Amino acid sequence: MKGPQERYDVNLFKPKKGYMRDEVRIILLILVGWGGATFGFQFLLRLLGDARGESLLTLRTFFTLPFHFWFTGQFLPLWFILLCVIFNIYIDRLTESHSRRRDKSYD
Amino acid sequence: MTKDPVSVWPLVIVVGVLIAFVMAGLRAKAREGADYGFGGRYIGRIGGGAAIASNWMSAASFLGMAGLLYLQGYFALAYVIGWTGGYVLLLVLMSGQIRRFGKYTTPDFVGDRYASPAARLIAAIVSITISIIYCVAQFKGIGMVFAWLMGSDYTTGLLVGGGAVVSYVVICGMLGVARNQQMQYFVLIVSFIVPLMFLAYRLGYFWLIPQFGYGEGVQDLAREFRIDFASPFASGSLFQWCALCFTLMVGTAGLPHVLSRFYVLPNIRDARWSLVWGLFFIALIYWSAPAYAVFARLFEARGGMVHDPAVAAKMADIVVLKAAVMGGLPVWVVGILAAGAVSAAFFTVAGLLMTGAASFSHDIYYRLINPRASEARKMAIAKGSSLALAGIIMLLAVNPPALIAEITAVAFALAGNTIFPVFLMGIWWGRANRQGAIAGMLTGIVITFSAPLLGGVVPVVAEIFPVTASALCGAPIVIAVMIAVSLMTPPPPEEMRRFLAEKVHGHLD
Repeated sequence: MKGPQERYDVNLFKPKKGYMRDEVRIILLILVGWGGATFGFQFLLRLLGDARGESLLTLRTFFTLPFHFWFTGQFLPLWFILLCVIFNIYIDRLTESHSRRRDKSYD
Repeated sequence: MTKDPVSVWPLVIVVGVLIAFVMAGLRAKAREGADYGFGGRYIGRIGGGAAIASNWMSAASFLGMAGLLYLQGYFALAYVIGWTGGYVLLLVLMSGQIRRFGKYTTPDFVGDRYASPAARLIAAIVSITISIIYCVAQFKGIGMVFAWLMGSDYTTGLLVGGGAVVSYVVICGMLGVARNQQMQYFVLIVSFIVPLMFLAYRLGYFWLIPQFGYGEGVQDLAREFRIDFASPFASGSLFQWCALCFTLMVGTAGLPHVLSRFYVLPNIRDARWSLVWGLFFIALIYWSAPAYAVFARLFEARGGMVHDPAVAAKMADIVVLKAAVMGGLPVWVVGILAAGAVSAAFFTVAGLLMTGAASFSHDIYYRLINPRASEARKMAIAKGSSLALAGIIMLLAVNPPALIAEITAVAFALAGNTIFPVFLMGIWWGRANRQGAIAGMLTGIVITFSAPLLGGVVPVVAEIFPVTASALCGAPIVIAVMIAVSLMTPPPPEEMRRFLAEKVHGHLD
């Protein structure tokens, strides 16, 4: 028997079994992809850059732009859209499978 | 600026477009009856996305972002990333849950989740403050565009433009003009992209998709004039970049008028997918803004104009229009661009004034001052307070402290330091209680305004909490305060914890 204390416990880092645990897993994965690409790339840029901030990442041209400018200005917004699409597809499936288990049409 | 001529045709086009929106709104209202728009007709996922994007587009997106890119190059991409990446946070951490929670406005959510009128009051004050700061930036944009249109100084432009936007809000309110946000988005995107295509064509770059054609411009700038537009961290350090970017992201996920978008669509699934469409529509503008900045730099360099930094900063906020004029675009194209900028600012001001006024009349007047107020009384208070807000904003906008995008960023910092943490913890941690929320929001308010208040005395404060970028260090501190205070005080009512566990997170178990 769990006490009410535990039964109603909501915590991002201690998700309940079932839907919430699956949901939290994909949320954390997406957040890693979000933060890694955004801030990780800037760290890399700083790390590799010489005194004038130049490195392989800034000297190489990609789609007519310096690579780092292309990555931040054009690829990252696209990456965010991709992350959102992946999240939505996954949540759609998750909701459907859990709804079927519960025998109720999904929302 | 006083010697500039009146731009007659652009002025005519701007006024014409605004009148057309009012007329179209009236026709739509006559056709569809009262339940048009908000929560009424089903508009589909793409339509919902266009509505999200149109709700989002403001003078900061339309004018301010290109202005900052023009001044700061790569560093200003933090705005592009911050204002798109925030939607990822919003989608994965909040969209489904706040919808299942079922509270429409920010003060409602905070008041109910934490069962506390005091927390509701703080959230309402914060929401209204955010509206005011956000609108000051819009008024600066309106003032600068009108000054340019009329060939007058900024103050005259602000008076005329501010008068116009207030009359627009009042007329729309009196006539009950329906807001067709899909049409608004369509007008905004066309008026932003078409002039850009013209400019790219003039310069001989790939004009069909100018978002990808401006790279040659960056190269030409570097080769012909040794202007390094793309140099990373030339205008700020890595920490400043990350702080600004993170602040804008959490601010996006905490802005009251963005959070309330999830109720317009009939179910969560459609709401989630329209958010993706919305993000795509927003990204279309943000992929284009750097192109305006690059083209403006290029025209200036080729025309032999070298502005000293003070002059450049003064005109940066209308650099989009300046680029169109310097590029020698046909006068009607410049007019369309100006009309897009003015519409973006007008729609944003209209939306925010209404939200702010509703918050005052419902959350402060009705809930706290006079709970027995009639609907008519509440309505009158809302109307009065929207005019009062407009007055305050106008006064603040007479002497704008910074660039449009920077002023807006302060509103994001405030949202990221107060509303984002109380929503995040309110949804994802059942133990968060009212004492924690109140302490957290107060801490957030202090942190947001610490740089201008204390930065002079304790310089390190201004470094850790830069006024436009305080949430990188601020939001974690606020969350820590919320956790500490919540654990030291009694848990929230069991009813609420059960509701969170069963309805918000356990709806399928």
